[in-house]
Amino acid sequence: MTTAIDARTAFTEPAGEAIGATWLLAAIAPGGALGRAASERGTRRFLRGDEAAARTAIERVDALAREVDAARLAALRATIAGAPDITPVLARASAGAALGDVDFFEIGRFLGALAEVAEPVSGWFAGVAGPFYGTLQTALSPGRSATGGFYLAGAFDPELANARAEVNARQAAYDVARNGLLERIARYAGADSVRDGEFVLMRDRALGPLPPEIRVVRESPAYLLCDVSLDDAALGALAARDAASARVAECEESVRARLSEAVAAASSSLAFACEALGDFDVLAARAQFAQRYRCVVPQIAEAAPIAFADARFLPLEETLGRHGRRYAPISLELEGVGVVTGPNMGGKTAALRTLGFLAVCASVGVPVPAASARLPLFDEIAWLGIAARVGDDEGLLSSFGSEVVALRDFLSRDLARPLVLIDEFARTTSPREGRALLVAVLEALHERGALALAATHLANVAPGGAAHFAIGGLHALPPRAGAPLDLEAALRRIGRAMDYRLHRVASDAAPPADAIALADALGLDPTLIARALGEIHRSATEEET
Amino acid sequence: MLALARTNGARSIAVVGTSKNAGKTVAVAALADALARRGEPFGICSIGRDGEAVDAVDASPKPRLFLRPGAMVATGARLIPRSPALEITALTELPSALGPIVLAHVRAPGYVEISGPPSAHALRHAARLLASDGRLVLIDGAVDRIAALAAGEDAIVVAVGASGMATPARALDEVEGLVARLRLAPLDPERPAVRIEGALTASAAWGYARAEERRQIVVRDPTRVAFGGRAFLELAARIDVRCEQPLCVVACTVAPASSELTFEPRAFARAVAERTGLPAFDVYAGSVAEPSAA
Repeated sequence: MTTAIDARTAFTEPAGEAIGATWLLAAIAPGGALGRAASERGTRRFLRGDEAAARTAIERVDALAREVDAARLAALRATIAGAPDITPVLARASAGAALGDVDFFEIGRFLGALAEVAEPVSGWFAGVAGPFYGTLQTALSPGRSATGGFYLAGAFDPELANARAEVNARQAAYDVARNGLLERIARYAGADSVRDGEFVLMRDRALGPLPPEIRVVRESPAYLLCDVSLDDAALGALAARDAASARVAECEESVRARLSEAVAAASSSLAFACEALGDFDVLAARAQFAQRYRCVVPQIAEAAPIAFADARFLPLEETLGRHGRRYAPISLELEGVGVVTGPNMGGKTAALRTLGFLAVCASVGVPVPAASARLPLFDEIAWLGIAARVGDDEGLLSSFGSEVVALRDFLSRDLARPLVLIDEFARTTSPREGRALLVAVLEALHERGALALAATHLANVAPGGAAHFAIGGLHALPPRAGAPLDLEAALRRIGRAMDYRLHRVASDAAPPADAIALADALGLDPTLIARALGEIHRSATEEET
Repeated sequence: MLALARTNGARSIAVVGTSKNAGKTVAVAALADALARRGEPFGICSIGRDGEAVDAVDASPKPRLFLRPGAMVATGARLIPRSPALEITALTELPSALGPIVLAHVRAPGYVEISGPPSAHALRHAARLLASDGRLVLIDGAVDRIAALAAGEDAIVVAVGASGMATPARALDEVEGLVARLRLAPLDPERPAVRIEGALTASAAWGYARAEERRQIVVRDPTRVAFGGRAFLELAARIDVRCEQPLCVVACTVAPASSELTFEPRAFARAVAERTGLPAFDVYAGSVAEPSAA
């Protein structure tokens, strides 16, 4: 069993979920077929050494976000989402196939979308709208209806128009001849009318011998199933109609062949335009993300430290927003290995996630949700500790076992510049051994020169030279005194009383102890709270004596 | 049939059948012809493959749809004829076995094959697209594919024919069972009821019958009753099956002649009208049999 790495993003699976990479990729996903095709052609992830390319990519997103306002960007994206991917049609045209009317309709829609998007933001479509565009638009324009449809209209070719006029006249002549026969049959049958097609003639309604215009399809004792038998005049009219129809078909194919040649001639330019629209959809999705979440261009650094101010972990910010709560932004500066301690619900894990989320934003080339940021690029962003499951271990590994195997796999990759996020590693084993393991891991990462941040409740785990950050913790959270619990209200109350900021403290500073106050705020039975406080008091007294 | 549909305020007419080759497409073609003669715009869609010259399943000859300008179709992209050309107005994302469903206007008289999307939900979507400018929509249904029928939108026509039926009696049982099932009475809110989530199966219905259930057995709409024919008639006599959203069944059509056997047309149409309580149209004979006033 080994840790699975997503080949597309190079995040370990738990990292992808824990730091919001999956959420981010969904948030910046293009909306249309062209954008999806562009994504599949390759969404680049920037690793160590790609700093210049990452800067260019992020600045390009930022430039579009600044140039085009949100409403216009949404409208452009909606247009691209509705544009068809015509690359299969282009391939057929290039191979010499005669295209069909649905193909011309789709090419017309594509050209319409291209004009709608590329004209207002022409700077982003350099080299796309060449002479082919006007030529093809002109070639297809006789077929465009007022409602945006496509019809192989007579305006394409006077011969087609003439052939259609001819077929209409011939059809009318045939209708007259056939209707004349139907009327004679109706008179014979004593009916107002008979069906144009197979019809039933009751024997008791038949007046004498059958007239020549009735052909019997099947007989039964009570009735005859009949059809119209065309006379010479009707047969002549039908033959003339069919000949005129064949001429129409010939003319229609001739127009299609001409249009197909025009499409084939422009196919490489059209294919380029498809890619350009798709690439723009990818870029616009990212620009919308940057606008919506008020992102900034980070300084992409060649080396540590990593630093950011007022950064937000967007998946959690969105969840809190749905519950009417606000996310407390986080600021941090880290060079090497650091440890975060703090109370439960104080934001230790959120701090790790925020750091990871900013790093993943930079690695996929989008601005970051912070007031400012300085970020290096990493070979890998690893998430160890809680949730570090190992592939599909079929339940054979315990939580601790999974954490250890994930750690083993990560260390075996021996990366030059990883970002390692460690959430309460070994918390499910004995505190003494868990602390020893965590200290050993942090020392090893420190020696390797890795950037790492570990969240823990354990004291004295920061190795020499490691930074120790403490969450501000609870302030002024009075006892609940057994009042009935409204969980939403309790969470808001805790949120108001919690200082989520990270403070740099001494490496041996004791972690805060707010668990019992939080348990009380969350509605645990007051008698249990009292017992727990009694137990704390008893053990403290024993230690003193 | 058009008058009956309009009287009931229907936006579409769905033709369903008791069996294959029951005359559904013939009925749809007759309705299309009537609408074309009146110069009324209309749309056609199908839940199965229809309009082809030969049945795709049993290779028997099939009636084709000859459409004139004014008609609009929803059909698979690969069935769009090369000639005479249609005006393509939309390429939808609704799938079908013959490519995505295309909406197209008929601009010149000609034959068109209609192939619909495979799911009831997609068919409803196609029908609503066709109806978006107020045109009446004809839905060529398929045997046992009634899930696409919609309360409040469709006038339903039930087609019954000699094809696949050993005797007229068998055909009459089938059409009576199908019509009774589609015309489930609405729920009586004053009386106790058992609501069925999903479909009412024959085994569940027999369970209620054996338990001598006296409460109303309520399904969302008649398409949620998963059995028909004689079984439905027998069970409906023992339990009170109701629905929350009744359907509007307006008529039957009869196709008394098939390649295997023929029924006496007038007697068959009269019997269908009597057994179902609905007017029975014989499209072939151009006649209609009305149920007796009683």
